[in-house]
Amino acid sequence: MRFYLQKVLFYVVALWFAVTLNFLIPRLMPGNPVDILISKMGAAGQPVTPATRRALEIQLGTGGKGNWFTQYGQYLNDLIHGQLGASLVNHPAPVTEVIGQALPWTIALIGLSTVIAFLLGVGLGVFAGWRRGSWLDNLVPATTMFQAVPYFWLALILVLFFTRWHQWFPYAGGYDVTTTGPSLSTQFIGSAIYYGFLPACTIVLSSIGGWMLGMRNMMVATLSEDYVLAAEAKGLRPRRVRLTYAARNAVLPSLSGFAISLGFIVAGSIVTEQVFSYPGVGQLLWTAVSNDDYALMQGIFLVISLSVLAANLIVDLLYGLIDPRTRARA
Amino acid sequence: MTSTVSLEESVPSVAPGQARTRTAALLPSWSPKLAVGLTIAGIIIGWAIVGPFLVQDPNDISTNWFAHPSAAHWLGTTQTGQDVWSQIAYGTRGSLLIGFGVAIIATVLSGVFGILGGYLGGAVEEAFALFTNVVLVIPGLPLVIVIGNYVPQNHRGLFLIAVVLAITSWAGSARVLRAVTLSVRNRDYVAASRVSGEKTWRILLVEILPNLIPVMASQFVFAIIFAILGEAGLSFLGLGANGTFTLGTILFQAYNDLALTQGAWWWFVPPGLMIALFGAALSMINFSIDEIINPKLRNSTRAARKKWGLTAAQINQLEQENVK
Amino acid sequence: MSLSNKRLLVRATALAAVAALALAGCSSKGSTGNNSSGGSTTITLFNGSVGNFTENFNPLLSTGAELQPSQGVIYETLYYYNMARAQKPVPVLATGYSWNSDGTQLTITTRQGAKWTDGQAFTAQDVAFTFTLFQNNEGLNTTGAKWTAKATDDHTVVLTFPSTSFTLEPQLLGNMAMVPEHIWSKISDPAKETNINPVGTGPYKLKSFSAQSYVLTRNTDYWGTGDQAPKIDNVRYISLANADAATSALESGQIDWMGSYLPTLKDIVKQHPTLSYVNTPDSLTSVFTCSNAAMGCKGPQTDPAVRQAILYAMDRAQLNTQAVAGFAGPGSMAMLVPSVNGENIVDQANASLPQSADVAKAKSLLEADGWTMGSGGYYTKGGQELDLTINVVTGWTDYDTDCTLLQGQLKAAGIKLSVNQVAQNAWSQAEVSGNFQLSLNSINPGASPSPYFIYNNYLSSTNTAKAGDNATTNVSRYSNAAVDAAIKDASATNDAAKQKADYGIIQAQIAKDMPYIPIYVNQALTQFNNSRATGWPTPDNLYAFPEPWKSWDNGIVLKAIRPAKS
Repeated sequence: MRFYLQKVLFYVVALWFAVTLNFLIPRLMPGNPVDILISKMGAAGQPVTPATRRALEIQLGTGGKGNWFTQYGQYLNDLIHGQLGASLVNHPAPVTEVIGQALPWTIALIGLSTVIAFLLGVGLGVFAGWRRGSWLDNLVPATTMFQAVPYFWLALILVLFFTRWHQWFPYAGGYDVTTTGPSLSTQFIGSAIYYGFLPACTIVLSSIGGWMLGMRNMMVATLSEDYVLAAEAKGLRPRRVRLTYAARNAVLPSLSGFAISLGFIVAGSIVTEQVFSYPGVGQLLWTAVSNDDYALMQGIFLVISLSVLAANLIVDLLYGLIDPRTRARA
Repeated sequence: MTSTVSLEESVPSVAPGQARTRTAALLPSWSPKLAVGLTIAGIIIGWAIVGPFLVQDPNDISTNWFAHPSAAHWLGTTQTGQDVWSQIAYGTRGSLLIGFGVAIIATVLSGVFGILGGYLGGAVEEAFALFTNVVLVIPGLPLVIVIGNYVPQNHRGLFLIAVVLAITSWAGSARVLRAVTLSVRNRDYVAASRVSGEKTWRILLVEILPNLIPVMASQFVFAIIFAILGEAGLSFLGLGANGTFTLGTILFQAYNDLALTQGAWWWFVPPGLMIALFGAALSMINFSIDEIINPKLRNSTRAARKKWGLTAAQINQLEQENVK
Repeated sequence: MSLSNKRLLVRATALAAVAALALAGCSSKGSTGNNSSGGSTTITLFNGSVGNFTENFNPLLSTGAELQPSQGVIYETLYYYNMARAQKPVPVLATGYSWNSDGTQLTITTRQGAKWTDGQAFTAQDVAFTFTLFQNNEGLNTTGAKWTAKATDDHTVVLTFPSTSFTLEPQLLGNMAMVPEHIWSKISDPAKETNINPVGTGPYKLKSFSAQSYVLTRNTDYWGTGDQAPKIDNVRYISLANADAATSALESGQIDWMGSYLPTLKDIVKQHPTLSYVNTPDSLTSVFTCSNAAMGCKGPQTDPAVRQAILYAMDRAQLNTQAVAGFAGPGSMAMLVPSVNGENIVDQANASLPQSADVAKAKSLLEADGWTMGSGGYYTKGGQELDLTINVVTGWTDYDTDCTLLQGQLKAAGIKLSVNQVAQNAWSQAEVSGNFQLSLNSINPGASPSPYFIYNNYLSSTNTAKAGDNATTNVSRYSNAAVDAAIKDASATNDAAKQKADYGIIQAQIAKDMPYIPIYVNQALTQFNNSRATGWPTPDNLYAFPEPWKSWDNGIVLKAIRPAKS
């Protein structure tokens, strides 16, 4: 019990650090949302006069309200009440609404792809480690090569091949906007799966190698342990030895890595969504950063921090469940 | 019933009468994978060191833009008429510098915070773990922009990117190392060393560290790849080391100048291939590093089995027996 | 892995692939091409939007939060000012206007017979209400000026100003959406209103909205008839993240109207006969310099001889061919676009720019100024090398290429140029705060093509500040009393001849001082698909600025096009 309480407290402190960092970083960024807006207005042929800056500051509600300390206090207070402010780019839409529109797409696509890649990779790694010398050993270098390729490079080449040279998959979007809209109909879900297939494939392809290699290495190391030998000597079936004795111990580092990558789903989706024009949080973050939209940036960072910490907390707790050795403290 | 474990114990790894010397036993046994890996990595590293002295100036613009690969330009030209082949030479050097730099820093940092923290326990461990979690949570992308704004112009470039990548990459490995250390430190031989009064640093170095080396080795390799890929990703978003050539900045230029869309594959494909080749080579070396650490890995490869002089049918039967 | 497990895995993968493709088959029916349901036409346009749409149809905002068709397609202005060619303002919701002699009173005659989409009539009261709304909400009034608006009868509105305000005309008549009084008088904070059920007078009204796409449908009660009536039934807007996706969209025929820079556009159009494009002069790409040492600017560029040398050292033909695939047009030393403002350039010598590099002239200008060629191949003076840094936004490929090319071109003239690629925030901050030497940017026109706005924004002392403080629009810190006087004089009159004389004074001054070194006229490329709709603007008939993101012009274009005969 103490173990679990300690963990939770620990993460609360980490959360506070993260929240403070999220407050600081946007404020350290160069530029000013109003200046950026003015330069965009000019480029779009909209008239800019000396009075425009003042008008924009009033519209956006920027223009200095107190020093950083008062702002920090206000920020924490708003956070506790669940208020994340209004996005500057989509003024006056609240940040929660803007993120809420985009988040499900990112979680669905990147989340599912990561889980699939992990399961496939670890599964293949178990077999590769167990059956050393089989054809699976040849698979490892191949998948590792895919993993060593820059993700966007692979994605762009696959896009070129599968969407332009052969139009088998759509090149952009989350679903077919001309035939369906967000709803729980099979047509929408079918369309969403079709549009998400290629991005998901690229993610799985480029990350599976890592899981497989890590798992295989640990598997081989674990197989030399005494308890595995003992289990085999006892006459247990190979499958049981493989899964309950070897894999269960070998998977621990991979599980840690998986937690970390789960946490980075939101942060890591920028490139995928750029290449595939996928309507998720990555694009939102990019827009926020380019336009100095403090509130939106803070909101997205908060989501990233929360998901990373939550994922880590869950895995830490699970670790305690799976491996009793970590629970016992000297 | 046979299993991989028992099989290895009963079969000698070399023909009888040919004992291996002590040093030879420490080095990886020669295998095709290692040979290929070392060769490719060696060529690339060699090219990165020597190449920039042998090629023309990558900054030379000309009016011969988007030229196909030819005798004058082995990999064609860019949109401003620059020679792609020379750019890749410089780019490989830049990427490798970042790769190795970041990997060394990240491994050291993750070792300190992960292993040390995991072993010592108590307040130190809590503090290190807290610090690791906080660092894990820092979003890398805006960090790059912020730091980029505050570092003066002439210090930017490779150094800045390397620092940012190192900061954002060690935390993940530290967590993994800590997890494994926690498992290892409760083992009997560690307890025995502690009881017999060995110094902490000795225990760490002699008892605990060897168990972690498989993990650390693969982490080091992955750190190199992560750094090179991370730099490519940052460059893709326009946050790379502008002004210096790295494989990432070349890809960024190619992407932004719509190279693929306009059919200039010679500009976009080679940098990615270079990264992939190097990564694959490193991984193959990684397999062989594993074999030094864990002798069990050495002998049951298919190639090794063939040396035993078994017939195909016997080998098949061996594999079948694992199937129950 | 056991044999049976292996087989299972293979089967499972195959099943998944088949399922995906089958679902694809289900959902991809009718996803390409138009959605003709019962003979109606739908066109799809991409106006540069990235990511999800947030529902906001408030046409009074200038923050960019409002969805772009609110300005021009759903709501309209009183007059339409065409930035693509020289022409008189086109009546939209007003049929006449006149100033009094000293520019303090503007009388507007509003259109009769126009209706709001909820059926109510459009009257002068709505116009007066809208103008008063802008006055009462400081955040909405981007002109910063003051006026009072009164509807003297159902079709006449009188605006009264405290001082001469001729220059406000294009903004008031051509840049303010008219909103219905009976709806907006009930809204407490117009700046925060998202207006999700927009009621306007424009040729299209909102049909459906989702975060990834929205559709507008034809306004059957529109006041325009015949050629002025909207003929396409539905207009769909989508978002895409990058130029690659936009190119794919164009080539696969899924988009009818978009405006992206595609270097191989000529080849694309050759390969796809249903596609066409138009190249419209947009803004003048120039090297912005922090030019005034008296205002705190630092660096060799504060010396006018250096700026002149840069002007002559540029090889504009090479910049045009390599950076923008030859699509740019010739600029002028007068900071104006010759094809739009040619008649306002007084001295014909200022109406063009040298297209090839004149290295000899550049060198002679520097040497006359006291620079001597150093051993490194660059000029030096007083021990300092002629070393300049130019800021450019990373990712703007044509600008990035320009800078790379300029580096080589200036090197030939003995000038050392370092290129500093930065993110857009940093780039605009450097300009606004005066913390730069050179910066690659464009000179943008104002509310109408009139040169007054360009000169006032970029050259007037009132729009600048010392380096270190934020300048509004004159980031070069240029301050010239003669130019200020001429600008003031031009604003006080409506007489074209007088204004032209003032412009001549300004042009003579900037030809000497060159605070902004023009390169070429950056063209706006627009692509059209003629298989579903025709009647798009052509190079001979630029009846509107054809870009889909241009407010107000987009409504004019959408009105003019008609379904293609199949």
